[in-house]
Amino acid sequence: MLPPFALSQPQSLGDALQALANDDEIQAFSGGTNLIPDLRSKRETCRNFISLQALDELRYIQRQGTRITLGARATITDILQDHDMPSDAPALYAAAGKFAGTMVRNVATIGGNVCCGSPAADTVPALLTLDAEVSLSSASGERSVALCDFYTGYKQSAKRADELLTSMSWTVPAENSANLFYKLARRKGDAITVTGVAVMIAAQDGRCTTARIALGSVGPTVFRAINAEEILTGKALDKDIIEQAARAAADQCSPIDDIRASAGYRLQTAFSLSRRLLTQAWQQVA
Amino acid sequence: MSEPKTITVTVNDKIVEMVVPAHRTLLEALRHEGFVEIKCGCEKGDCGACAVLLDGEPVDSCLTLAWHAEGREVTTIKGIGQPGNADPLQKTFIETGASQCGYCTPGMIVAAKSLLKKNPNPSLNDIKRGLSGNLCRCTGYTRIFEAVQLAAEELHAEGESA
Amino acid sequence: MNQTDVSQGSIANVNLRQVGKNKPRNDAPAKVHGKAVYAGDYYMEGMLFAKVLHSDRACANIHSVDVSAAKALPGVHSVLTAADLTASNAVMTDLPGQTGGGTKDTKQPILAADKVRFHGQPIALVAAETYELAELALDLIIVDYEDTEGIYDPFDAQKPGAPIVYGKDNIVAAYKIRKGDIEKGFADADYILENTFSSQYQEQAFLEPEAAVAWVDEHDILNIRSSTQVIEHFRAVADALGIPHNRVHLMAPYVGGGFGGKEVMTIEVWLALLAMDTKRPVKLIQTRENSFLSHGPRHPFTITHKTGVTKDGKITAMKIDLTSDAGAYAKLSPYILLYSVVGSTGPYRVDNLWVDATSAATNNLPACAFRGFGTMQANTACEAQMEEIAKLIGMDSLQLRRRNFIQPGDPNTTGQIIRSSVWSDQCATKALAALGQRPDNADHLAYGHGVACYQQSYGRIRWMKDSSESWVGLEMDGTLIVRCAVTDIGAGQMSALAQIAGEILGVPMDEVTVYFGDGHVNPLAGTSTASRALYMSGKATELAARTVRENLLECMANHFQVSPGELELADSKVFVLDNPERYMSTKDMVKACAAEGVHRHNLAIFKAPPSEGLDPETGQGDVFPDFTYGAHAAQVSVDTDTGEVTVIKSVGAHDVGQAINLRAVEGQIEGSALMGQGFALSEELILEKGVLKNGSLSEYLIPTSEDVPEIQSIVLESRSGLGPFGSKGIGEPVFAPVAASIVNAVADAIGARIYDLPLTPEKVLAAINEKDKLQRGR
Repeated sequence: MLPPFALSQPQSLGDALQALANDDEIQAFSGGTNLIPDLRSKRETCRNFISLQALDELRYIQRQGTRITLGARATITDILQDHDMPSDAPALYAAAGKFAGTMVRNVATIGGNVCCGSPAADTVPALLTLDAEVSLSSASGERSVALCDFYTGYKQSAKRADELLTSMSWTVPAENSANLFYKLARRKGDAITVTGVAVMIAAQDGRCTTARIALGSVGPTVFRAINAEEILTGKALDKDIIEQAARAAADQCSPIDDIRASAGYRLQTAFSLSRRLLTQAWQQVA
Repeated sequence: MSEPKTITVTVNDKIVEMVVPAHRTLLEALRHEGFVEIKCGCEKGDCGACAVLLDGEPVDSCLTLAWHAEGREVTTIKGIGQPGNADPLQKTFIETGASQCGYCTPGMIVAAKSLLKKNPNPSLNDIKRGLSGNLCRCTGYTRIFEAVQLAAEELHAEGESA
Repeated sequence: MNQTDVSQGSIANVNLRQVGKNKPRNDAPAKVHGKAVYAGDYYMEGMLFAKVLHSDRACANIHSVDVSAAKALPGVHSVLTAADLTASNAVMTDLPGQTGGGTKDTKQPILAADKVRFHGQPIALVAAETYELAELALDLIIVDYEDTEGIYDPFDAQKPGAPIVYGKDNIVAAYKIRKGDIEKGFADADYILENTFSSQYQEQAFLEPEAAVAWVDEHDILNIRSSTQVIEHFRAVADALGIPHNRVHLMAPYVGGGFGGKEVMTIEVWLALLAMDTKRPVKLIQTRENSFLSHGPRHPFTITHKTGVTKDGKITAMKIDLTSDAGAYAKLSPYILLYSVVGSTGPYRVDNLWVDATSAATNNLPACAFRGFGTMQANTACEAQMEEIAKLIGMDSLQLRRRNFIQPGDPNTTGQIIRSSVWSDQCATKALAALGQRPDNADHLAYGHGVACYQQSYGRIRWMKDSSESWVGLEMDGTLIVRCAVTDIGAGQMSALAQIAGEILGVPMDEVTVYFGDGHVNPLAGTSTASRALYMSGKATELAARTVRENLLECMANHFQVSPGELELADSKVFVLDNPERYMSTKDMVKACAAEGVHRHNLAIFKAPPSEGLDPETGQGDVFPDFTYGAHAAQVSVDTDTGEVTVIKSVGAHDVGQAINLRAVEGQIEGSALMGQGFALSEELILEKGVLKNGSLSEYLIPTSEDVPEIQSIVLESRSGLGPFGSKGIGEPVFAPVAASIVNAVADAIGARIYDLPLTPEKVLAAINEKDKLQRGR
């Protein structure tokens, strides 16, 4: 049983944005795969929603040169079925394959997953390694925010109450790059992430030109291990440098104990998985 | 709160009219209408027992608002095949013993049906991933995988797409 | 990839045409077409919907329960609390004949009155026009709790001064075995090894939550259609309500999984009370969250093994201590403890044996029946200990087992002489061989192989004087009916009876109609528990069918002018074996026999061999009718960076006596392989001060399709079982060794033993860390 709530069904983006502008308390209802369980358990207290169901204009995957844009209503399955996504966003493609189960993937949207702000949101580490940008629209205009600046705290973001996340975009990774993701969980299918690590390494002339390390489920938000990235950038990577970077990535974590794992376990695996993915990525590009 | 409204949903090619409020899930609404072949196992998308095809795509009906199914087509296991006109999956599930207590079976066949439609030649890993949202406690899945593989072969042989 | 081995020395079984074959089950078509109806699918005119208020805490006094607002809500027809239960507020766990001295106190309040003793204890019942109204009514009920000090550890519960949850001292049950000369046994040992193993709560997680509809009909009979494993609960319902047994009609349609979780009454009495109060049909389908609290999970156990062994691998003594956490009420804890005692020595012959077993009450969830029923936990500890012994004395662990396997004619744990074949050796050898080569360790992956054997009973405790009845009859048109109240909980209980009766009377099994699961219409079959349904109701059906067959063949012998032994029934015909051209259709045969007044149906009762109980001092006596033996082997990889365990191959090899339906046997092995994997690696209920913290299927993790290993079944048939055609019970036996095999494989992979289950990645990584630290320390 869900608690009674109000649901309006705008037929256009404009109508949706107008509804958001008119009412501070109203929230967007996208795929609903998180929202419905949260409503049922009463964890979600909002009782006034606008459904994005009719906004097909927000469900797309577009390419322009090396720039990819995903409409916020693109589903996880859309990502998995896109022919070029394995090469245009390898880590995101990998994350999509480990995201919940098939039926949820068919309905869950990229916008919803990014907006829910959970540190366990599986698409976010990969998107951070891609330097993704978030497009936010409101009745009064549009703005872009780098995903790495988007989260301001546990389940809090820079999105205003009157704004809708309308798209995500990033530049397709360089030729000589590797973009990997590992989801550590307590079973192989349909599980909440215990430690999530995504990396992006680009190299030229034997040196690392770009390094991105993003970690999930090991802090109040998904975040980039900037210190670790700085250790790698510009260098010819080897075992010691990678180990140092992995150590720096772990140092940036602030995990908690919960029913799935202890903070100590998360720290150790954040380190060893960062090390592993960086090693694998370097092997692919060097 | 939202007033109940009248919506029509096509279920297994039959038009069904329902008066439901916004917070009514498709699972609740359809079971209330007598479609009790749609099973309820958890009401939060963890088990897949409630899976139906919505415009051909498998969804958890417990995670679908009835209002969001308005004007769309729902297919339950009874729409996938009937006695006398069984889907290859229904035949292979019987042959291989892929159904023990049977409670996961309607949702499982719905998911498998969609899997085969998208991927007529699935590898074992494809099948495992495709059924990742359907829990089964009785069978250990082994016969279910076999049933899907056999159905894929049969569909090939028939030369038709599922 | 399956094999079936038939023993060399078996009795030449008759030519089986249907039994033993891969036959599609009779219930399969209804299930794949979505036509199978479960308890919660039934609709009745005027039906009300029920909700239950469960305690949100584990240990508290209840000062008051205010239901006035709930009752006043329009559309609410009944709100019941303990104060409304005038007949009695007690329900017993119905156990015909109890063990030990005196009757165990299994009394539990139907609704909590002045205190709650466990998280989820029911406090109030509501029936309303819709589920929504019922839920609103629940929200309006105000319970004034006063939290009190509880006890949450079964060892602490036994200490003086501990809060009392049960009886005088929190001891729900205790058993001991004093066999042989334990001191001499240890004195004769070259090595003595002591280890303590512990295991966790496991939730049955059947896909169909508890569901039932109850109504009082026009004859004033209380009807309940419930997802239950036990039709005989009608007696306990009647007793709880203070009405005569013959006015309670309990039925079970197809049950969407039970595994023991629906063995004790769950929601039946609640619905009966509401139906009687409202005079309308009342339905309840439990939410998954409440389901976790509405039946008991598997008992956690702490088991200490002290074993004496010679350097040649002969076990000279075993001292075993077992403690289980019963939770807040006794339920089936005494029995589960007894099973764990009998299973504590695994499939080994131990002549010098001391066992001390205790089940202590706490304010945790009242644990209850779950596949294996104590034997599985005990076996897991035993098989882990065997591996550690082998490591200690430097012997191959299979070799160690071979030195100690019990043999036919040997006395087992409680001195019961084993009569059936014991093929543990063949099973273990084949299972291990099927794993192939252990892959070499690579990068961050360590590989391991593990094996485990077992001795698991089938059939109930013998001093319960268990029996089962079945009616078999041919209709005038030659069609066959079986009437047997067996409940079908997914393992093909119903279909097996069609297969047996069809075999004996020569009718294709898919043309046999079985009326099952109805306490009024069918002869009572007993519980679908204890791996007894096929054994007991199968034997009853076999007996009834054979009597009908005898009657018919005697008549036909006259007709064909041959002796009855020269006739056969098959393919809906009776025919002369040596001259099949001489035949008659079954239909014509029935007509001819009916004309001569031949009795073409029979009601048979099958009684399990009784016994009188255990000697309270020595713990010796005959407990079970028989045992099943076999083995499971597992190949795993362990990620040494994360501790994640992947089961790659999982092989079950079991002597099932005779497979009635081979596909169904393999299905049980495959299902067990995954359920045991869950127990070994990912499943655990997390309780904090008695409160369940992970009561949903996203937080309590059973294996998914992506966790499935390559599962192989090896089915051996010794024909030495007590069931029909020499079959043995298998539902629990094939599950018994699985977790142990995986646990042993992980120990093999990482070179270290983890002593408590489940083997979460975190525990595995901690063990790897510890081992690395020790190695670096050298």
